[in-house]
Amino acid sequence: MEPLPRLGYGLGLRPAYYEEILASRPPVDWLEIISENYMIDGGRPLAMLERFRADYPIVMHGVSMSIASVDPLDMDYLSALKRLIERAQPAWVSDHLAWTGVHGINLHDLLPIPLTREALDHVVDRISRVQDFLGRRILIENASTYVAFAQSEMTEWEFLDEMTRRADCLLLLDVNNIFVSSFNHGFSAEAYIDAIPVERVAQIHMAGHTDKGSYRIDTHDQPICEPVWKLFERARRRFGSVAAMIERDDNFPPFSELLAELQRMREIDAAISETREQTAA
Amino acid sequence: MRLAELQAAFQSAVLSGAAKDSTVLASLSKPVRRERATGFAVYVKAYRLRVAEYLEEDFPALKSLLGPKRFEELVVEYVAASPSRTRNARFFSARLPEVMEGSEKWRNEAQAIGVARLERALTDAFDAADGDSCRLEALAAYAPQDWPRLVFAFHPSLRLISAPTGTVELYEALSSEGAAPQLEPSDEEEAVAVWRSGFDPAYRTLSADEFLALNEALAGKSFGGICQLVAFQEDEAAAPERLAQFLVNWFSEGLVVALIEGGDERASVGPEAG
Repeated sequence: MEPLPRLGYGLGLRPAYYEEILASRPPVDWLEIISENYMIDGGRPLAMLERFRADYPIVMHGVSMSIASVDPLDMDYLSALKRLIERAQPAWVSDHLAWTGVHGINLHDLLPIPLTREALDHVVDRISRVQDFLGRRILIENASTYVAFAQSEMTEWEFLDEMTRRADCLLLLDVNNIFVSSFNHGFSAEAYIDAIPVERVAQIHMAGHTDKGSYRIDTHDQPICEPVWKLFERARRRFGSVAAMIERDDNFPPFSELLAELQRMREIDAAISETREQTAA
Repeated sequence: MRLAELQAAFQSAVLSGAAKDSTVLASLSKPVRRERATGFAVYVKAYRLRVAEYLEEDFPALKSLLGPKRFEELVVEYVAASPSRTRNARFFSARLPEVMEGSEKWRNEAQAIGVARLERALTDAFDAADGDSCRLEALAAYAPQDWPRLVFAFHPSLRLISAPTGTVELYEALSSEGAAPQLEPSDEEEAVAVWRSGFDPAYRTLSADEFLALNEALAGKSFGGICQLVAFQEDEAAAPERLAQFLVNWFSEGLVVALIEGGDERASVGPEAG
């Protein structure tokens, strides 16, 4: 399995920061775009994409592949995605372990699946067919979930382990989503990270969420909280310095705050390296 | 429950807003800290908030015109009448003017439908296909005797819409002041051209004769054919001057992307009038 490039520290590209990034060329190693925002015919978004591509490696992250839906694969969507891949030349392409609708309807949300053998077989088959169509391996991200199904037959990490091996796909591990789901369902986030196959993790997402008391919601509108930073450190010790980035989708802070969070990632990695060197010495 | 049944039940409950749907709740395991319905309600609420947000983003002037309460009623009706069938949220609101026209509650609100049509056209123009505008000097490449056979190809974003007279004035007041001027309802209609200039959507009202000429040009009629039509509709002596002014407008506004020697044949490129 050929490893993907280690891109370093990235940010989710959002229109709110277009001008600032273009004007200041901040110390960000790469940018992740939301694929659907650029699956259009023309205009400003695609022109901006060309400008960002000139300065930064690009990664594509989708929200509508609906890989777990029982609807047939949407070949129009996949064809449009393929055209964007040809245009953007991303380092890789990702989407979520989720479904977004059935019967031709789209709820524009990342909906949960029961962790059953049936769902696993279904998802593995669909990922394989998507990878064949796109001619590349894709990354699948663990989504935050707010319900769990009584019929589930395995843990999420067991599901992901078997899914990645059988479909030969890679993982985009969202550390915040692990934290949110672990709180909502009462499992150990540490056990989750410790069970994920190291060789499959190609990218890490970090983000903030909203604490609603008895549950948490993956809102991407807050700074990253301390427990998620602790999990990040655990993930970095296990998975090494795979490409890591921050997603911010609302309540946009000054850009400097996101750069400060990226800097904290770098410092955590530096501290881990230093400890390893001291241990080796 | 099979995966297909589960997804159908889950979606049906989200669409109908049934956060306590018994089939869905029976399929869930009991969470540690809360009721089953609390977790499922996150999906039910998020769906409504999300689609309302898409509509608010695409129709800010319409929301100002209707006010928050009536706009919310429209959102509820639209979401029920037209659940999203697109993977791209950007296209979710495409049918709003159409749904208003077909709705008993909204069909007589001509001004609101006019504003909705204009805002939807502006949204469509924002990310329509690109086209390189052609300068007026391009006409000089053709001998004057060939001009009657020329057909114009227009920027792919260009659309012509009809709306009650005063719609553009109303839209501008709503957009700049957030309030509607007192306009008498009108049975008359105004024609509006909507397109993208650079990266920004643009619009302009058209006189009746320019609308006629542009509509025919969009449909692929040759320059000569348009001249005859305008001369027939207007004072024949003034027609060439009017047409010359139209051409200057179209080129200077970046509407024309190519000149094609097409005789009276229909142009092979260019958008349909909408």
